Amino acid sequence: MSIKTDHVLDAKGLACPMPIVKTKKAMKEVMPGQVIEVQATDKGSLADIQAWAKSSGHQYLGSTEEGEVLKHYLRKSGDAEAKEDKNFPHTVQNEEIIQKLDAGEDVVILDVREPAEYTFGHIPGAVSIPLGELEDRMDEISKDKEIYVVCRTGSRSDLASKQMEEKGFKNIKNVVQGMVEWSGPLEKNQ
Amino acid sequence: MATKVAIIASNGSLFDAYKVFNVATAAAASDAEVGIFFTFEGLNLIHKEAHKQLPIPAGNEHFEEGFKRENVPSIPELVEMAQELGVKIIACQMTMDVMSLDKDQFIEGIEVGEQRASSIMRPMPISV
Repeated sequence: MSIKTDHVLDAKGLACPMPIVKTKKAMKEVMPGQVIEVQATDKGSLADIQAWAKSSGHQYLGSTEEGEVLKHYLRKSGDAEAKEDKNFPHTVQNEEIIQKLDAGEDVVILDVREPAEYTFGHIPGAVSIPLGELEDRMDEISKDKEIYVVCRTGSRSDLASKQMEEKGFKNIKNVVQGMVEWSGPLEKNQ
Repeated sequence: MATKVAIIASNGSLFDAYKVFNVATAAAASDAEVGIFFTFEGLNLIHKEAHKQLPIPAGNEHFEEGFKRENVPSIPELVEMAQELGVKIIACQMTMDVMSLDKDQFIEGIEVGEQRASSIMRPMPISV
């Protein structure tokens, strides 16, 4: 399985502490919000990367194992996302989505996070279009249905909701709590 | 948020060098502010020539192939990495005087002095 990322770091064959040292360097090369894939053969890198992400404040998305190679996915943190005001007026709480799923309602859930974030856990049936690609791919979404836009914290989905409204979508709601507080069913692509 | 780590390096074998520089680079990569104070035999670890051929402690020579097999970075590589990550390398002035060593016998980019050493020793010291 390959997951689309902004940067791939090859740390295969390197021993501790090189995988995290190289990861730190690679993080400097990407923009906040972008995702990197770290390839390593050092078994300890799994625990190291998780601990490193925790201490450095970046978002650890998950890891996959392909033979000898571990692939770790990290998203660079950025304060822009946290500080930005959410001001799209039409919002829903996570709970409402869970109820609609339970009731089997035909709703469109649009997940605007990065592909790697989506891969390691999303709402069942959610459509993945990262915020950066939304403008070009908006025609993939039906204008007639109710659309619930979700991201990690409700910030990117706020921007996405505004973009879509400008393009003539009428029935859009931003899921304000986002995946970080999601307690409903999760689907993983693995 | 920046954690401060102070390491005292007082022994001069290859194993000691790995203990010091692995901990230092890992901590620095995790955004800690790291300073290493090199004293007595620890000065070997930053001596221009000596740090390239540090001795393996007697009786452990067989580990040499393990280092190669596991592709463990060399000490000069780790030192360079540590400096790139902003690890402060401080040589003990007193030991240098006792051993008649000059600053130019050490790798580039080190600091010398007791003043600086005492100021960086304020955070939790780890003795290696």
